[in-house]
Amino acid sequence: MPAAPHYDFAQAVAALLAIGALLSALALLAVKQVHEQVRVYAVQSVVAAGYTLLVGIDRAEVALIVLAAFTAVIKVILIPVSIDRQITRQVSEHEVPLVVQVPMSLLIGVALAGLAYWSASVLPIHGALLPTPALGMPLALVLVGFFFMITRQNVISQIVGLLVLENGVFLATVAIAPGLPFAIGFLLLLDLLPAVLFYGVFARLIAARAKTTSIEDMAVLRG
Amino acid sequence: MAVWLVIALGLALLAACGTLAIGDRAASGWISAGAAVGAFAASLVAVFAYHVSEGRHALGGAFFLDGLSGVFLISVAFVYAVVAIYSVGYLKPGIGHVRLRRVYWPLLNLFGLALLATPMVANLGVLWVSVELTTVVSALLVTSEGSDQSLEAGWKYIVLGSAGLALGLLGIVLIYAAGVPTLGDHYTPTYSILAHAGPHLNRALVHAGFGFVLVGFGTKVGLVPMHAWLPDAHSEGPSPVSAMLSGALLAGALYAVLRLGAIAQLAVGPTYVHTLLLVFGALSLVIAAFFALRQTNYKRLLAYSSIEHMGIVSLGIGIGGPIAAYGAFFHIVVHAAAKTLAFFGAGDLLSRYESREVDDVRGVISVAPFTGVMVLVGALAITGVPPFGIFRSELLIVTGGFSRSKFVFAGLLVLFANVAFVGLYQTFHRMVLSRSDSAGRDVARLRRPEQPLMAVAMLASLTVVLVLGLWIPGPLDQLLHSAVGVIGGRT
Repeated sequence: MPAAPHYDFAQAVAALLAIGALLSALALLAVKQVHEQVRVYAVQSVVAAGYTLLVGIDRAEVALIVLAAFTAVIKVILIPVSIDRQITRQVSEHEVPLVVQVPMSLLIGVALAGLAYWSASVLPIHGALLPTPALGMPLALVLVGFFFMITRQNVISQIVGLLVLENGVFLATVAIAPGLPFAIGFLLLLDLLPAVLFYGVFARLIAARAKTTSIEDMAVLRG
Repeated sequence: MAVWLVIALGLALLAACGTLAIGDRAASGWISAGAAVGAFAASLVAVFAYHVSEGRHALGGAFFLDGLSGVFLISVAFVYAVVAIYSVGYLKPGIGHVRLRRVYWPLLNLFGLALLATPMVANLGVLWVSVELTTVVSALLVTSEGSDQSLEAGWKYIVLGSAGLALGLLGIVLIYAAGVPTLGDHYTPTYSILAHAGPHLNRALVHAGFGFVLVGFGTKVGLVPMHAWLPDAHSEGPSPVSAMLSGALLAGALYAVLRLGAIAQLAVGPTYVHTLLLVFGALSLVIAAFFALRQTNYKRLLAYSSIEHMGIVSLGIGIGGPIAAYGAFFHIVVHAAAKTLAFFGAGDLLSRYESREVDDVRGVISVAPFTGVMVLVGALAITGVPPFGIFRSELLIVTGGFSRSKFVFAGLLVLFANVAFVGLYQTFHRMVLSRSDSAGRDVARLRRPEQPLMAVAMLASLTVVLVLGLWIPGPLDQLLHSAVGVIGGRT
């Protein structure tokens, strides 16, 4: 009789974190308030930082542990707080108009996650600690982030969608290329911050001009 | 060689810092133009004086130049130089509309810096960061006219561009992961290390990785169907910025695609890479040519022409072989010159007529003869009429297509280059040569004398696209051949 597969503690935690990341992506599709969307992103970033920390400890790599700390500071605190400040400064309506309603969004989200796992299973790759297919969860985040961006007609929501997409890419990096030199991982993280500040300035300009952060009014340029 | 590359980057960086420090003064323009011309000269020396064709590392392996990077480096450096000169004239009072003048010069120089760095760097991660920097900076530049439309265009650009780049990064990560079994967990992803390990890279991961790279960076190249941001950004930004986007930014992103494609083809063979480039190239060519027929805004028309030309380059490299790929790389150089000329002309028209609509512009030749001639010549150059360089490059690609029995793709190029010619030329012909109608217009603005620096920039672009149509200098010829050796050679 074949022996039952052996999972150690770290693998179990990694599997839980992967489930957490997936659930956070789906939760994002369920909330309509901009504030809540930003909070869901913060929770998802906690998961991303946690996973990075776990892989760092498991492989005894200080670089990854430091990266996890930076991720926590920047993605869990700095970015959500700065976006929150943007929201409170604006005259924006806080509930986002949806192109696709919540129940349908959730169904599509689940289908996208399934698609991600199915396509990841084609790639012969073992991720750090994650159950195979390791790329399934990061790809699911990328797809759901995209879908969220397309179907939420609000500037801040589009930023959140982009950030979720980048979380997916970040998790993919940690999962399948944990040796990718620290300098690069760090550069990418630093790259996020100016981008978000820039989005903030931009969103404020747009809101000040149009008195709304809805993009429904931005439809002059066509064809 | 390292010293020239550092000089080129250093000049752009110094100009960015300097112009930020002194603000909106006349000196800002001169500092930027000087730095950009200096950076162009330094790039030429780095590429042509050091025999980069074989591939050379510099500065402890941080920089890498070979035929492929050389072609792109001289093109983007040329565009940066002529755009900076043109901008000095364009920003003079009473000419171009640029509201955010304080940030224009620092951003333009930063944009130049990121564009110059893109083909120089040896590391895939740094390559991604420099392409990302071009997005952030150029999106701000697009909004510098300060209109609602420019804001909308900038927003679309930043959102689509960033999403595309995130996918491009995922592609890079996958290609990195493809090397882990051979190169170990910790390796520096430089081109030469990956190229050396090429045949041993994991094929499935390289397949997936290059797919993401093409879709991701392809968004910034403006390949159809990821092109939605491009016409808006090109038409709503100030004209010198449009010229820089079209002549240099699209090329920089295409460089990233080709560099990663060169690595991918070592692992999975050229057929996969070339087929993807052929499909996206042909799609871009066909769709953009059709859209060009129905545009009523002349800057948008030029934007669709950029999509068409990026399609032509992809098609040429997809066809492969010493003739078509050579033509495609030559096309990068001449397109940079021809498209800057066309956008410079469009910027001059916009400053006189204060409208982007084709119907509002009539009889340019009688109110501003020099501008009229430049606009018309620009339209002829960009649509591939002999004796201009684009004619030569397109002819090479078509010849290469026939010689490799890719009849369908060569036929598509002939057909749709002509469709685009009809769309573009008839529009510009109507604007320039029809009867003048200045009723209800500011006649002083319409008939203002030529701005000398804008004229100099236009003449510089015209000279390059015309001379290269008649004669390709030996060193450039050698550079183009070695670029073919990097990615276009075999199928």
